Amino acid sequence: MKSRGSSLAAVLVIGISALTMPLKADATDVMASLSPCYAKGLKDKLLCGSIKRPISSNEADGQFDLHFTIIPAIKNAFPDEAVIAFAGGPGQSATEIAASFEHSLNVVRQHRAIVLVDQRGTGKSKLLQCDNPSFVEGLAAVDNGPEALEDVKTHTQVCKEKLNVDLSHFTTRMAAPDFEAVREYLGYKKVHLYGGSYGTRIAQEYARQFGQHVLTMTLDGVVPMQQSLVAIGKAIEDSLHALFADCEAQVSCAQTYPNLGEEFSALMQQLSQTPVRTTLKHPRTYEDVELYLTDVKFYSTIRMSLYSNSQRALVPLVIRETKKGNYAPFMGLMSSTDLASALAMGMHNAIVCGEDWPIQNDLPNEVVATPISELMAAGLNVICPILNVAPAERDFYLPLNTEIPTLLLSGGLDPATPPSWAELAMVKMKNATHWVAPTATHIVAAQTCADRLVADFIQQGNTQSIDPACLRKDTKSQFFINLHSVEAETASSKE
Amino acid sequence: MINLFKAMYTKELLDASRDKRSIMAGLYYAVGAPVLFCVLFMAIITKMVTPDTLSISIINAAAAPDLVRYLENNGIEAAEENDKSEITLVIDGDYAHQMNSGKPAQVFLQADYSKDSLRDSLRKVERKLNEYSGNIASLRLISRGVDPTLLRPVEFQVQDSATPDSKGSMIYGIATLSIILSVFFGAMNLAIDTTAGERERNSLALLLSHPISVTQLILSKVAAIATLSTCALLLVLLVSKFAYPMVPWEEMGFSVSLSYEFVVFSLIIGFPIALLAAGLLVYVSFMAKSFKEAQSYLTFVLFIPIGLSMLTTYNIAVEKVKWLPVAGQQSAMIEFIKGNAIMWPELLVSSFATMILAIGLIIMAGRMLKSEKVVFGL
Repeated sequence: MKSRGSSLAAVLVIGISALTMPLKADATDVMASLSPCYAKGLKDKLLCGSIKRPISSNEADGQFDLHFTIIPAIKNAFPDEAVIAFAGGPGQSATEIAASFEHSLNVVRQHRAIVLVDQRGTGKSKLLQCDNPSFVEGLAAVDNGPEALEDVKTHTQVCKEKLNVDLSHFTTRMAAPDFEAVREYLGYKKVHLYGGSYGTRIAQEYARQFGQHVLTMTLDGVVPMQQSLVAIGKAIEDSLHALFADCEAQVSCAQTYPNLGEEFSALMQQLSQTPVRTTLKHPRTYEDVELYLTDVKFYSTIRMSLYSNSQRALVPLVIRETKKGNYAPFMGLMSSTDLASALAMGMHNAIVCGEDWPIQNDLPNEVVATPISELMAAGLNVICPILNVAPAERDFYLPLNTEIPTLLLSGGLDPATPPSWAELAMVKMKNATHWVAPTATHIVAAQTCADRLVADFIQQGNTQSIDPACLRKDTKSQFFINLHSVEAETASSKE
Repeated sequence: MINLFKAMYTKELLDASRDKRSIMAGLYYAVGAPVLFCVLFMAIITKMVTPDTLSISIINAAAAPDLVRYLENNGIEAAEENDKSEITLVIDGDYAHQMNSGKPAQVFLQADYSKDSLRDSLRKVERKLNEYSGNIASLRLISRGVDPTLLRPVEFQVQDSATPDSKGSMIYGIATLSIILSVFFGAMNLAIDTTAGERERNSLALLLSHPISVTQLILSKVAAIATLSTCALLLVLLVSKFAYPMVPWEEMGFSVSLSYEFVVFSLIIGFPIALLAAGLLVYVSFMAKSFKEAQSYLTFVLFIPIGLSMLTTYNIAVEKVKWLPVAGQQSAMIEFIKGNAIMWPELLVSSFATMILAIGLIIMAGRMLKSEKVVFGL
């Protein structure tokens, strides 16, 4: 009897090991099949790989290689878990900005691997890129009036022919299963999600489709499902007016630039009536370049500089110098905020035309008209009919209804995704916490102590007992009061 | 012959087991050393990586509020006026004037640079000052319509092929040092007791009056000591395996993990060392005339294997040292943990040398025992 029992046990044990052995071997085999690689700005060795994915449910559409990068955990304390980080844009390549994810998630990474997937249409995953205008072309571009729209039209048509693919396969809803396929391929049982900017939309969509695998979700610079990305007019204006108010509150800035807000409005008015055509020296090559300065170009550049607290410091100076007829500071700022080349515009437009353009007229938030919001709308009215992306289903726009522990982060000065958007996103989230860093701009984890808070949240699975007080630290810089200095000479320092 | 050896071996182990305290004393080391190291490291790491804000004295802070706030946002705070800090940042009276003229504005970092305790703090302050200066420089150029990347004609990026596991080299050096030492320390008491002690109790002569050869006697003693050494080795390996991963190394950017494969590998390559330890301990103890003398001699003699091991730990002349006994095995252990290929020629040569040395010492000890002077401790 005893011997029978033990032989049965032996059979059971063998049976179990027979079941578990191949599984384990598979997971390590997969990891071993990945190739070591490096990312820009990051010295650590990473792992890169790719899997085949169908472009659509129709086999005839073919396949593409979905590329991903793993930032290995320092100490792989949770080998069954990983953090999937979603890039923004839309159109940014997650693997190309591995260094900035590593920066924001450095504490998280101590115990869990971070998985970066180039969303379909970006980076190395069937990149959908148009020929973006160069910086020099951008400087000289006529970007106001009907001529500009005509330009957009031809550009879009050229791009559509170049891409030669149905962009309807590149929407958020279509992309989410790719991330799931990577999770499954790498053998992670559970994942934590971290999304920034547009990345929060794909993260929410992933959670909607595959929530059973999600342990926590961190949304940084939140885009609610109900919200059109196009409607950022109010956020930009709020961030800009906060800047004017900050300047007024700083003695040195207020003295140097009295009535900055009015000065800005006057300049915009002036540029809209009479755009400036002039010749300048290229910021890098020092060759002569043409600048055609319109209100649109000026506003766009100021808007882009609001994304970073350090470039924000230059805005009053740039307004003043431009008003005086010195356009070099403006060109410098424009060249330093030139991000267009970093986005896959084909993929960007697939998302915007499929998801944001169809609802741009039924906006839940207050609409604020700015020089560029009208232009953006007009531009999309030209681009989207040409690209002909199937509009997202109605239920795509429903707020995410979930019990997954969720941390939402917003920057008080964010010119793209204001705190009110996070509030809108969390209406149906049953387990959500929203923290605002008052002086942060877009993407809070990159600028504040939130990197530690996010790590604590992922580690414990909730926000209880995490103190967000450090988010209130003032991270603003002082404004430049001349070409050299942020510090004013006080009477005492002159002595 | 074999039976006789077996009986002697059993007698040695039985003898040893009667004196539990001296056995335990040896094993305390095996358990204690890794635990002690880990507690120490834990304290060091917590001290090094705490995001504790560094408090420094800033003189004339009012002249550079933006700089002061930048430092504050990066974990460097201005101390209260009454708190004396060992690091002082003096902002020059001309700071704002120089800044506004586009000239370099001066700050002075005052500290005693010979103080090790300040090294990391000073490095942090210097780094942040440089960062701030770089930021302002970039913005100055942008405001003149110049691309700041022009200042980086050569951009170099490190591509480090190390893995989180291989970055812990220094720690592995110390871990393996403590592992190897346990082979020598684990059975030291037993070795002295069974040699010099046996002679002091006059039981050595009694043993030799029986029909056994000196070789059998020595071999059985060596075997017993090596057994205990190996036990100590196993113990220190197991304790290390569990203790080291408990330290939050990851906060320093690397990890330390000892696999069971490593435990087995170390046991195997540690065996010749255990024999060497036994041979060395027996030989030196017999050389001494009394128990106490043996203790003193051994303390000195053990400096040799410790020294060899230290050379490896601190990476001194590793290329040459790794062919030698003890050091060679330790190098192999370190490479094994790091997941690197093991250099078999070096390992084989050093293991072979270890065995030869062990056998030599055993033979010499045997020869010694042929002299009555040694047997009676005259």
